[in-house]
Amino acid sequence: MAAVAVHQFAPCITCHAWSPDHSMIALCPNNNEVHIYRSSQDKWERVHVLQKHDQIVSGIDWSPRSNRIVTASHDRNSYVWNREGPEWVPTLVILRLNRAALCVQWSPRENKFAVGSGAKTVCICYYEQDNNWWVSKLIRKRHDSSVTSVAWHPNNILLATTSTDGKCRVFSTFIKGVDTRDSKAGSSSDSKFGEQIIQLDLSFSWAFGVKWSPSGNTLAYVGHNSMIYFVDDVGPSPLAQNVAFRDLPLRDVLFVSEKMVIGVGFDCNPMVFGADERGIWSFVRFLGERKSSFSGSKYGSQFSEAFGKFYGQSKTGVSNDGIDPSRSRGGIHENCINCIVSLGEEGSSRTLRFSTSGLDGRVVIWALENQEDLSEYL
Amino acid sequence: MAGKEEFVEADNAEAIITRIEHKSRKIESLLKLFKPVEALKTALEGSPPKTRDERCKSANWIVVHRAIMAIKDVDGMFSTLDPEYYDILMKYLYRGLSTGDRPTCDQCLRIHEKLTEKAGLGCILRALADTVNTV
Repeated sequence: MAAVAVHQFAPCITCHAWSPDHSMIALCPNNNEVHIYRSSQDKWERVHVLQKHDQIVSGIDWSPRSNRIVTASHDRNSYVWNREGPEWVPTLVILRLNRAALCVQWSPRENKFAVGSGAKTVCICYYEQDNNWWVSKLIRKRHDSSVTSVAWHPNNILLATTSTDGKCRVFSTFIKGVDTRDSKAGSSSDSKFGEQIIQLDLSFSWAFGVKWSPSGNTLAYVGHNSMIYFVDDVGPSPLAQNVAFRDLPLRDVLFVSEKMVIGVGFDCNPMVFGADERGIWSFVRFLGERKSSFSGSKYGSQFSEAFGKFYGQSKTGVSNDGIDPSRSRGGIHENCINCIVSLGEEGSSRTLRFSTSGLDGRVVIWALENQEDLSEYL
Repeated sequence: MAGKEEFVEADNAEAIITRIEHKSRKIESLLKLFKPVEALKTALEGSPPKTRDERCKSANWIVVHRAIMAIKDVDGMFSTLDPEYYDILMKYLYRGLSTGDRPTCDQCLRIHEKLTEKAGLGCILRALADTVNTV
């Protein structure tokens, strides 16, 4: 069984993040608060409640080395929380947004963080030592619609964003005084802030969940039309692969190694995608157990009712109003999974554990150690 | 991008319609030879890509409709139809279902059930989510 632990924290979870030692989890239970739970001997106790936002907290990230939490909310604000003694002390970050903040992520060196928003902008925030506050620089151009997801390249400068206009873009976020120009590196260090490196126009529908591979060589993002896109050699001439799959769309992805990606979404079951020796990506299998896949029985009855409507008959006795009592498909998660977080070592090239949280309020921890058929991808 | 497309179309609309007429003749001959699956493949191939011109789309739809209605053995059809055609077939099935015409809808529903079993819900999603390449 790939799922090693299942915890029910709330009726619904928007997003979650783990503490550096993975002993505490910060999550938003679909309201304006962030709850932090600590695990002690198999039980979870709530140790902190961070209450500052006025509306739902849409993104949480916990930096592993500096132990800071950044939260972003639909109230157009973002707070950086620092641990001072037993308390978490918030610092407001003025993002200068006029629409909700949708996603947030710390950069690999933790000196910046990026916030994607519904205002068609991305805010890059960095700490100004002199004034003792966080400054936000906006990337205003280019996006035609809400920015749904952001991901940092390991070099701390390139940022990939996905948007509901269906495009994935990579920008440079070089900030003088915060980033250092790498004398030996290539073009990424020569770009100025907000410059668009590449725009990927692969999807005709909303794009979500972008992530870089551990080396930064490959980019993966999903479209709302049940497709996942893999892009190698991100630069002037990228190599893109569109992988269409059978089931419902994904919402988020995670690279567990250079050649394996886990996608999570409306099927309530993580999907494994792997690349073979030639670098061609394809769907491998589902990670969790599946309830019997769409066999004839459930479908047949829906279609016979449709036929019945056509021929003007009313189906008596069969209550088939389309809402099955067993709505759960994957068995472990009962509703859409919308967040997947790695539980591995910071900056390592392969992760064997990750956690998922969803609209059912559960956090499930998955382990890949015992999945022999997937070991070739790790 | 939209501007460029319109420009390309004004030139090519006539060419596309001529191509569709050729296809239509080929399909009629295939149907006479009792090869409905081949007819369907021919009809689906080269569906006008990124054309905003409704005439081209309607002309192609008529041809595809003819091929769809000629299919009697749905299971047999899927054993010979390549998966690359699934997405475009699904789009045409939804166009058929939107006509409301009883025999067309019957046939489309029949094929839809089997196609969903074969191609999964992702196929339906792709047909619905793609508002750029409509049929």
